[in-house]
Amino acid sequence: MAGGLLVLKNYFHGGIHPSDGSDKSLSNQIPIRKFLPKTVEISMKQSPNSICTAIVKEGDKVSKGELIGKPTGFSSANIHASISGTVTKVIKSKDDKDREFDIVVIQSDESNTDSLDTAGGWEYESSLVDLSAYTKEIIIAKMEEGGLVGMGGAGFPTHVKYQTKEIIKYILINGAECEPYLTCDHTLMREQGYAIINGVLLFVKASGAKKAIICFEDNKLDIAKDFEQIISGKELPIEIKVLPTKYPQGGERQLVEAVLGMEVPAGELPTSISTIINNVGTAKALADIVLKDEPLISRVVTVTGMVKEPCNYLVPIGTRFRDLIDMSGGFTSRISRVIEGGPMTGRSIQIGGALDDLEGSVAKTTSGLLVLEDSYKIESPCIRCGECERICPAGLAPFKIDFAALENDITLCDKLYATECISCGSCSYVCPAKRELAYRITEAKNEIFRLRRERGAK
Amino acid sequence: MKLKSGKQLHDVSPHIVKNWSTKEIMQDVVIALMPAFLGSIYFFGLNSLILVLTAVTSCVLSEYIWQKIRKEQLTVGDWSAVVTGILLAFNVPSTTPIWAVMVASVFAIIVVKQFFGGIGSNFANPALMGRALLLYLWPAQISNYITTNHSGVDAVSSPTVLGMLKSGSEISQFSKWDMFIGNIPGCLGETSALLLLIGFAYLCYRKVVNLAAASSYVLTVLLVTFVFSKDGFFKGDILTNLLSGGLILGACFMMTDYASVAPRIKVVLAIIAGLITAGIRIWGMLPEGVSYGILIANCLSGITEMIIKPHIYGVKLKSKK
Repeated sequence: MAGGLLVLKNYFHGGIHPSDGSDKSLSNQIPIRKFLPKTVEISMKQSPNSICTAIVKEGDKVSKGELIGKPTGFSSANIHASISGTVTKVIKSKDDKDREFDIVVIQSDESNTDSLDTAGGWEYESSLVDLSAYTKEIIIAKMEEGGLVGMGGAGFPTHVKYQTKEIIKYILINGAECEPYLTCDHTLMREQGYAIINGVLLFVKASGAKKAIICFEDNKLDIAKDFEQIISGKELPIEIKVLPTKYPQGGERQLVEAVLGMEVPAGELPTSISTIINNVGTAKALADIVLKDEPLISRVVTVTGMVKEPCNYLVPIGTRFRDLIDMSGGFTSRISRVIEGGPMTGRSIQIGGALDDLEGSVAKTTSGLLVLEDSYKIESPCIRCGECERICPAGLAPFKIDFAALENDITLCDKLYATECISCGSCSYVCPAKRELAYRITEAKNEIFRLRRERGAK
Repeated sequence: MKLKSGKQLHDVSPHIVKNWSTKEIMQDVVIALMPAFLGSIYFFGLNSLILVLTAVTSCVLSEYIWQKIRKEQLTVGDWSAVVTGILLAFNVPSTTPIWAVMVASVFAIIVVKQFFGGIGSNFANPALMGRALLLYLWPAQISNYITTNHSGVDAVSSPTVLGMLKSGSEISQFSKWDMFIGNIPGCLGETSALLLLIGFAYLCYRKVVNLAAASSYVLTVLLVTFVFSKDGFFKGDILTNLLSGGLILGACFMMTDYASVAPRIKVVLAIIAGLITAGIRIWGMLPEGVSYGILIANCLSGITEMIIKPHIYGVKLKSKK
């Protein structure tokens, strides 16, 4: 390990400024609302590569917090019923790669006494509690049991991260929320500061790290001040770091570069440089799991863009997207493009359809539902302005990989390090010729990995 | 791997894009060239207007016809041919025959730009290549410089200031102020530093040029011509070298051209172009070296890119292991 670990440069290479703040202020002024739907549709596929097996069948009674899905591999985590009621249906579904998975539909009972009333009543939400009873083993076991996954996007099971054999020195808590429009982390941090810091302290205990660094962008100075106040004078292993606002600050590798001044070696995880990164939402969920004994069954979702009342909602996992948009007053755009996640990396789930036809439900990784007016881009030839290369956080030359990918030259894509693309979308964002660079580079990257796996299997 | 392109790609992220386009960039460059264009009419008369219009029309038409014949995607709407036309006319004296400008325009667009794959794929600046062709084929026709309409005498043939310097003539008849505002013999668009810089300031404001590349080019030329002047070391005439000739036009509008230049080597290439330009000015046969300096630097971009490796996130660390 190199000396001078804490040389802070506070900048990562490249990056863009896609947000002028007005998109975020659509939804970050209002307190988080609670919404408890009558029906939830819990997908057994909570993130791209994690499929669980449903262990309930039609007609089963389930109560809130009961285990309903078991992992099939190390990249998936337990799934629990998010409301009490009856399983009315188990829908068979297929994803875009033709993998089958179930969707468990739960209808709440008449006599349901569930509530999402999490504010108040719990000590850990208003003060820093005594955590001495929790050892590393207990916390990691609870993470696994409670189905904790990274709530910032990738949805990788958190307990797997903490079972690493490497010695962990730093925990980075990602409160950057660099995607435009999304404010679920911002509002959560504003309302649940104590719960988050309790969660962060649990992370520190679970890893044996020297300290945790909570990272914000300077558009969330209000939160940084709040947090500073909570930890001041208590000699906690927590440091607060404010970084200049830039996308993709919240990318794991970029955050490490900005905060620790180091790079994560290509093809390796941050644990290889003694660091684990967790989202603030995950910290809050860990506090819920350990201190309230409630598995990960709810999360905050930003509903924003062209809806009548943009707002953040605390909802059970499995809340249907159409119910959420309905709660926000419906679409205000003529032809709507509905996006799950943020505008830079989110997935387009419906274009131009009616609200009643909107499929899908909130997963553990769903940070937001964004409605934009639909628009077409027409690609024109690359003019080699070099802007994509200048801003690429991975240091790639996106336009060259794009040419190679269009020629189907996978070997060249590999030579140009397409594998190091983090799919942040910055290149497509800045391209004056409106080329879909990020899409094609990501496809090329996946193809390279697929070929490597095939070669490895032979 | 099946890749989609064009309009089929409708639903991929990112879902927002920066509010600019190729067309807007090119229009910005055209706007930035307008002050110098108006200045050229003021200094050299209607001939300037005719030459610029000829070059622009020839460029746009030849691109349009070429793409129609070849049934390619039409890109004339992106204004890049207009930029090439203006720059081409800016790089010849006002006495150049109209037919010569037409030939150069067709050569610049068809041979230099379209033969290599159209916009973005050209290896060198088309306008400068057009000028290079004229210099080679008809050197006499495009070396007939005249004094401006506002030099106190009727327009007469006169070498450029750099030409006078080269041949050792006295240049005191041109004040530094005349050089700055453009009241000197020279190519259409190159003479007025003031008007070019106004345009360049606009491009900087619109963030479509690389200020570092432009300034390192100018500084290199000035430094070298200052150190190695024919009057001895450290005796070069900085202001004359800066204000006369095409240095500012080249730095502001052609060094910053996009032709296949990775951002990390823009400054390096600008310095190479500067060294060549200065070398030609001091030791070369020609009085002026801006166009060749930039063209040679354009051609060296590939090898420079190979020598100066990019830094890929996380990759160096791995190879150290």
